[in-house]
Amino acid sequence: MSRTSRRTWRLRRVLILGALLAVIADAAFVFYLDRRVTPQFEGRRWTLPAQVYAQPLELYAGLEMSADALEAELARLQYTRASDLTRPGTYRRRGPRLDIAARRAQFVDEVREAQRLSVITGSGGVTRLVDINGTEVPIFRLDPLLIGSIFPIHGEDRIVVTPQEVPPLLPTALMVVEDRRFEIHHGVDLEAILRAAWVNVRAGAIEQGGSTLTQQLVRSYFLDERQTLWRKIKEAVMAVILEARFEKADLMNAYINEIYLGQDGQRAIHGFGLASQFYFGKPLNELSLSEIAFLVAIVRGPSYYDPRKHPERAIARRDLVLKLLGGFGAVGEADALKAIKQPLKVTSSVTAGYYPAYLDFVRRTLRRDYREEDLTEAGLKIFTTLDPRVQATAERALVDELKRLDQRYKEKDVLLEGAAVVTAPQSGDVVAIVGSRQTGLDGFNRALDAKRSIGSLAKPVVYLAALETGRYNAASLIDDAPIEVKLPGGKLWRPENFTHQVNGLVPLTRALADSLNLATVHLGLDVGVPKVAQAFTRLGLDKTPDPNPALILGALDLSPLEVAQLYNSLANGGFRTPLRAVRDVVSAEGTTLKAFPLEVTPVADSATVYKLNRMLTKVTQRGTGRAVYNRIPPDVIVAGKTGTSSDFRDSWFAGFAGNHLAVVWIGFDDNRPTGLTGSAGALTVWSNLMGRLDPVSWDATLPESLTEVWIEYPTGLIANPGCADDVVSIAVPKDSELPIKPGCGEDPLSDFAERTRQWLEGIIRQ
Amino acid sequence: MMRLTLMLALAMVLSGCNLPNPYAAPTPPQQVPGGAPSLPPSPEPQAPVEPLPTPEPVPEPSPAPPPREYQLSSASRSLVDQAHAQMVAGNFVVAAGSIERALRIEPNNPLLWIELGKVRQAEGNYAQAENLGRKALSLATGDPRTQSSAWRLIADSHRARGQSPQAREAEARAEALTPR
Repeated sequence: MSRTSRRTWRLRRVLILGALLAVIADAAFVFYLDRRVTPQFEGRRWTLPAQVYAQPLELYAGLEMSADALEAELARLQYTRASDLTRPGTYRRRGPRLDIAARRAQFVDEVREAQRLSVITGSGGVTRLVDINGTEVPIFRLDPLLIGSIFPIHGEDRIVVTPQEVPPLLPTALMVVEDRRFEIHHGVDLEAILRAAWVNVRAGAIEQGGSTLTQQLVRSYFLDERQTLWRKIKEAVMAVILEARFEKADLMNAYINEIYLGQDGQRAIHGFGLASQFYFGKPLNELSLSEIAFLVAIVRGPSYYDPRKHPERAIARRDLVLKLLGGFGAVGEADALKAIKQPLKVTSSVTAGYYPAYLDFVRRTLRRDYREEDLTEAGLKIFTTLDPRVQATAERALVDELKRLDQRYKEKDVLLEGAAVVTAPQSGDVVAIVGSRQTGLDGFNRALDAKRSIGSLAKPVVYLAALETGRYNAASLIDDAPIEVKLPGGKLWRPENFTHQVNGLVPLTRALADSLNLATVHLGLDVGVPKVAQAFTRLGLDKTPDPNPALILGALDLSPLEVAQLYNSLANGGFRTPLRAVRDVVSAEGTTLKAFPLEVTPVADSATVYKLNRMLTKVTQRGTGRAVYNRIPPDVIVAGKTGTSSDFRDSWFAGFAGNHLAVVWIGFDDNRPTGLTGSAGALTVWSNLMGRLDPVSWDATLPESLTEVWIEYPTGLIANPGCADDVVSIAVPKDSELPIKPGCGEDPLSDFAERTRQWLEGIIRQ
Repeated sequence: MMRLTLMLALAMVLSGCNLPNPYAAPTPPQQVPGGAPSLPPSPEPQAPVEPLPTPEPVPEPSPAPPPREYQLSSASRSLVDQAHAQMVAGNFVVAAGSIERALRIEPNNPLLWIELGKVRQAEGNYAQAENLGRKALSLATGDPRTQSSAWRLIADSHRARGQSPQAREAEARAEALTPR
């Protein structure tokens, strides 16, 4: 054999071997990809972030809600007006009557199918509820508002929809706009690639991309966003594999749930189910033609076509999609033209219905019991106690007042900040949390993390400890006189009154109402600082504060939430109930995994707490909290306390009406003085907030062991209203013997009889 | 004089309790007398040191309330019925949830706190059952029937924990309050 032929033979062998190896490698590559792609796709479960729901609105006869207010609540849930009510999520109004086509909704205890309900209202609120057959309905829940989700660090958030929940127009529109040969190609569409290339070269405009829906799905599901040739090849091979292995319908459904459709800070909006909520606040199957066209339009570039930043681009592209749909007969030409004329109504802001400070508290609650993956992947449903109406009101009250106060400060380098917590005292439900003036930002959560000096907010705890000794009542006199106290370090402490004046002997109720520091220090020292410290713990503080005398005047740093826990025990009549934001955790399958039950623990005698609360109503009627009645109707009784820390670094107000308790804090993050006292900044927010929530009186019933008496406000002596000029009522134990104002006690019985006579005449006259 | 005695007697019957303290403010306990602030509230911080010059308006005299009888609203009634059915099915978590829904509507109704206590008792959380009974008691002022059922719940919770003396005492209180 010649050298040449031998060389040729060898070359041939190498080539054949190479080709063989290439085929094997190729097969191996396809095999490898198949092994990787198919099982992952087959067992595909998107990581499902836990969905967080607000408390649903309960409708029932007797609910004090006007037809207008109910309509506003329906608008919050994105119900739309319609005359025929054939679709869930619609309603019609006929004067005082509202007919509602309620959506299917998941609750803790049931899945309620979509159904019709009529609500009849009168002057006092809801008078009747009837179903479609005219049968009375005693109570009915509207669907709970979705307020957010707990998405993982990488930020992918989604709501997965089943094919039944997808309006048929959506897949059609996706095919018309993105991939016209979807039904027939095998994963890759060469014709489309060539056409796209040609169109792009000719016009520079993109009418149709070259990637099939399958390729887009592969890209989103399996690959990163790097644009390399190798990645393109992988993408094409994987698309062909998926097409060979799965039905078209499966691929379409996967696409609808997978694709990226928007961004909200760190949160990436994936899938049409969430996009529908994110842009329109309602479920996918309720979207109009215009809205579906919009969602299809932004597939190509969710940030470029962001309707909140670039509405004109978004509308132009939506209109293009509508024209295509009309042109291809997916919808009637006339319908398409009509939809083009419609404005694009996207929910008002990116953060509408998204409450980061509240969600933060929910997340912290759940982290105690759940692993991060359970929360971000397992599709849990979290039912919370958030009341969207209260939350919106609290945000507005805080932000408005801070903006008003901004004008006071020339130094514009730092903005005044604030926080608020609102609870329903009896159940301990946290119904609203505002953590910052930038209510939509997931930043420093002051409601939970700003530990600030509570100042005079400590006083009610001191007075509670005093009443508990049994040696004091609301009329007892204490000395509002200068005092020097040796602190543990040997330093001498000389507290002063806010006004730098002294008042001598004053009754307890007035010392609290006027927030007199000197009187309170005398009282606290007499009771004993350790007893005061221990009262803090009983009312709900996690650890007993340092029993330093300065504790009496509030040398204690607490967060607004911690203050809310303390005052909640007072508003709840001496029963501590853990503040909770999460009521239930329900699995993706609908079974309750965990409930956070309402639990009560008696921590202070309810009659003693009643006496204290009566004194707290005097703070708002007579004392430092009087300005609340600028916003609260005069006949509504509220109890509360102002708080100011030294040098006006913190402005606080904590208090409650019959239905809500709220704690408000205002101050600078760097702890510089604000110049605000408790009755300026925080009090204004508190009273605006409470005033807008239809406050009902704090009207706890007088405990049987107590009776009510009148005392003269300056002296604490018993004196009926006719006998002294300035009297207030207090609650004291029935067997109390109190000193009587001279000249007022001769014939109290006849006085009582006289009043009874007047009362009887009053009844007869009616 | 006769008329006076009669009126006094009537007032006492209506108040449903002991002789009133001669110095008692003759106002219903649900209202804090002089609820309206007498002064126009000032918008700026203030810490008055002197007693306010204007007296509070003298409130209209009114009688002590007759004995109450707490009832459930129809919405609460249906939720309590639902809870009973859920308890029969052994689903205490959901039953408690139904009572809590009612409590959100009527947080001051002691009957609902007793119902919640019964759910806790049924699921073996006796300490909570007792606490909820005490919560109900604190709200049931003037309603002997409801007070009686609250004491009965407390008695049951003690009995279930083997605390016989406390159970007997609570039972006696319940008995004493039972309307005849």
